[in-house]
Amino acid sequence: MTERRPVAEFVAEATEIVEGLSRELLGLDERRGEEPDPERLNAIFRAAHSLKGLASLFGHDRIARLAHVLEDALDALRLGKVAADDALIDAFIDGVDVLSGLLAMASRGETDGPAAERALALAQHIETLVAPAPEKPPALHELGVDKAVLNVLTEYEEHRLRENVKKGVALYMVRAVFSLEDFDQKLTALNAALKPLAEVVSTLPSAQASDEARIAFDLLVACRQPAADLEAVIRPFGATHALLSASVAPRPSAPVPVPVTAGPTAEVSLKSLSQTVRVDIARLDRLMAAVGDLLLTRTNIKRFAEGARAAGGGLHPMWAQELSREARALERKLDDLQKGILEVRMVPLGQVFDRLARLVRRLLRESGKEIDFEISGGDVELDKLIVEELSDPLMHLLRNAIDHGIEAPDKRASKGKPRRGRIRLRAANSGNHVVIEVGDDGAGMDDDRIRDEAVSRGLLTTKKAADLQRTDLLNLVFLPGFSTRRQVSELSGRGVGLDVVKTNLGRLSGLIDIVSERGQGTTFVLTLPLTLAIIRALVVQSAGRTYAVPMSSVLEIVAVRPSELRTVEHRQMLSVRGQTVPFVRLSQLFKLPETPVDLHYVVLVGLAQHRLGIAVDHLLGQQDVVTKPLSARLRDVPGLAGATDLGDRRAVLVLDVPALVSEIVRPQASP
Amino acid sequence: MSTFEQLIDQFLYRPDEPGLPSLQWLADAPRPESTGVEAPQEFLAFSLTDETYAVPIATVREIVKVPVITEVPRAPKELLGVMNLRGEVLPVYDVRARLLLAGGVQPITGPGDVPAQARIVLVKSESGDAGIITDGVEGVVRLLPSLTEPPPPGGTEKPFLAGLSRRGERLYILLDVEKVLE
Repeated sequence: MTERRPVAEFVAEATEIVEGLSRELLGLDERRGEEPDPERLNAIFRAAHSLKGLASLFGHDRIARLAHVLEDALDALRLGKVAADDALIDAFIDGVDVLSGLLAMASRGETDGPAAERALALAQHIETLVAPAPEKPPALHELGVDKAVLNVLTEYEEHRLRENVKKGVALYMVRAVFSLEDFDQKLTALNAALKPLAEVVSTLPSAQASDEARIAFDLLVACRQPAADLEAVIRPFGATHALLSASVAPRPSAPVPVPVTAGPTAEVSLKSLSQTVRVDIARLDRLMAAVGDLLLTRTNIKRFAEGARAAGGGLHPMWAQELSREARALERKLDDLQKGILEVRMVPLGQVFDRLARLVRRLLRESGKEIDFEISGGDVELDKLIVEELSDPLMHLLRNAIDHGIEAPDKRASKGKPRRGRIRLRAANSGNHVVIEVGDDGAGMDDDRIRDEAVSRGLLTTKKAADLQRTDLLNLVFLPGFSTRRQVSELSGRGVGLDVVKTNLGRLSGLIDIVSERGQGTTFVLTLPLTLAIIRALVVQSAGRTYAVPMSSVLEIVAVRPSELRTVEHRQMLSVRGQTVPFVRLSQLFKLPETPVDLHYVVLVGLAQHRLGIAVDHLLGQQDVVTKPLSARLRDVPGLAGATDLGDRRAVLVLDVPALVSEIVRPQASP
Repeated sequence: MSTFEQLIDQFLYRPDEPGLPSLQWLADAPRPESTGVEAPQEFLAFSLTDETYAVPIATVREIVKVPVITEVPRAPKELLGVMNLRGEVLPVYDVRARLLLAGGVQPITGPGDVPAQARIVLVKSESGDAGIITDGVEGVVRLLPSLTEPPPPGGTEKPFLAGLSRRGERLYILLDVEKVLE
């Protein structure tokens, strides 16, 4: 299909615009009730405008139409024709959602769907919101500004001028004269310098220049600070200022009929401002696979070089030395290459956090609870594929916090807590992992209710439930179908629960832990590897067979004597610093010939909140590996994630730690 | 063999390189004159225990020497394991037990466990390409559909038999690749 490429490009570019739009809208949303920042409104307006243009170009009429309506509404907003009230901001935020929906449809090549209907309804809704035409504004010269100036102002500039006059902000005309060579930089610098204390309503090039090599500008400035401050700022630029009033002398120059915005920026280069390229992640996967193969060649060459040195044999010693040196150089360069590709795959979590923030704000409005939402660590980077897979689990946890975590305002007040609840989404780097926390300062998890629920659902017996410690009890919420919420909530949906979160995280080799204090709140702590493209594996041997265990799930390795094992309810257990951990011998699990040993090497693995000790006969070392999937024919064989090549062209099986953990540790789910 | 020679050997060894019956001659070989009577069909014939089996040549992807085979724990017993073929991980099956031949499934973990003529016939299949271990590949045979008999009665017991065909004195048992690997 020849259509595919343009669609993918359109979707990629439009998504970027919508994400930018969304960010600015959230800024607007956070400052509801305040006078919107004109810069921000302009940014939103421009984004809607670009999207409209882009969508029409590619023939996506629905997106173009919605963008057009948004653009009109934003124009009305920045011209002060309508107020930035809640209804309008909500409609804008919905607009971003619908646009995302439409883009998703476009990327799948669909022409019909719920998003399309919503788009139509929303467009009409926004139109009615901005429809009532305000009464004719008073003529500007009545505000005490000279007519000659007014003639060259655009509608928007007029509006800003009027706003400032209404607020009683003093107006000045600042005259600056710059050399033709660098006037653009100077003017930009002057604008930047003015920004903290004043709004530049308009910049007018003046015909009255003192000589040919120079150009003069008149800046219509609304200054919130005393004239002395303005003077201090503009003096370094050699500019002068005059207070504007009704009695001010007419501008000596004839108004120049040049559109103001086209003035100093008219000569801008057509070269793209952006120095970035967009790359399909599949291409990076292919590059990574090539690097994986090269790593194997490197391992072989290294061994070859070492062998050549050891054997001596027919080779000249110089030759062997040279080979070793080259092998080391190759190794270093390959490490650089591997790191480079991994870096390219990394994207900031902010990409998904922004989307979540949008959703949370909508949910907050619907929930009627008073909650502050804080985000930090959006700049922490993770593999693009992991970031994408994270959005659903995080969304679920946030919904849970809003819906189950934070109490109603009155209840909070009665507990002596502030009425406003707080939800935090935080990310931070921690060695080779990223830790993401979703926390609330709500009621915390209720042991008794979890216990009752688990028993009533037949997940465990009353006696077992009574024996469970708090940590184990909390972990019951990850069982399929578990929910302590009695009434089905609009927000959290039905059926899907924390078990889905856990499964999704397991697929990403992630861990999840719960920290919950009664009355203090609940925090879910997610620990994730940086990437899955190339993994570090622990190479082990059991009954003479070699296996690879992904290091990301290995917590530690302990040596244990068989006599230190205990048997609890027919299961062998191991004690690691006071924690009891299920134990299994890999050879026994895999039905391989078992030989008695004096010492077990136990690889302690962790998946989500579960721990498991896997005993092996030997530890062979660590290696970076690319995992290849096993044939679809072997889908039913449990406990294996794939196979890899450690450099000797044999297939070495990679253990599927999540599957092994759920096989062995399987919580007391069976009655 | 010195350690060094072993290393070189290991480094240069490709499981599928030496001594393979190339299929190229097939493309080059003169086609029989079209007599208008009947076009023979081409099969790859191989031996298992003391019988000769054949599969349509179109289903064969490659013939490889027996490489190191990694046993897959808790897999069905016909699965000998997986092999690594130029970076691709492929399952290898021993179908003797299914064909009710004597011997059953012997564990085979590498070239040392099989006679030198043993080969793996790699077949294309819907549910994923797979290797079938054979005692030796005889080559490509042209069989006439008119000399092919339907499978003997009792087909429900052996649904993977596609028929029997004769060429001179030789009897070939035709296999349905998809079914024999099910």
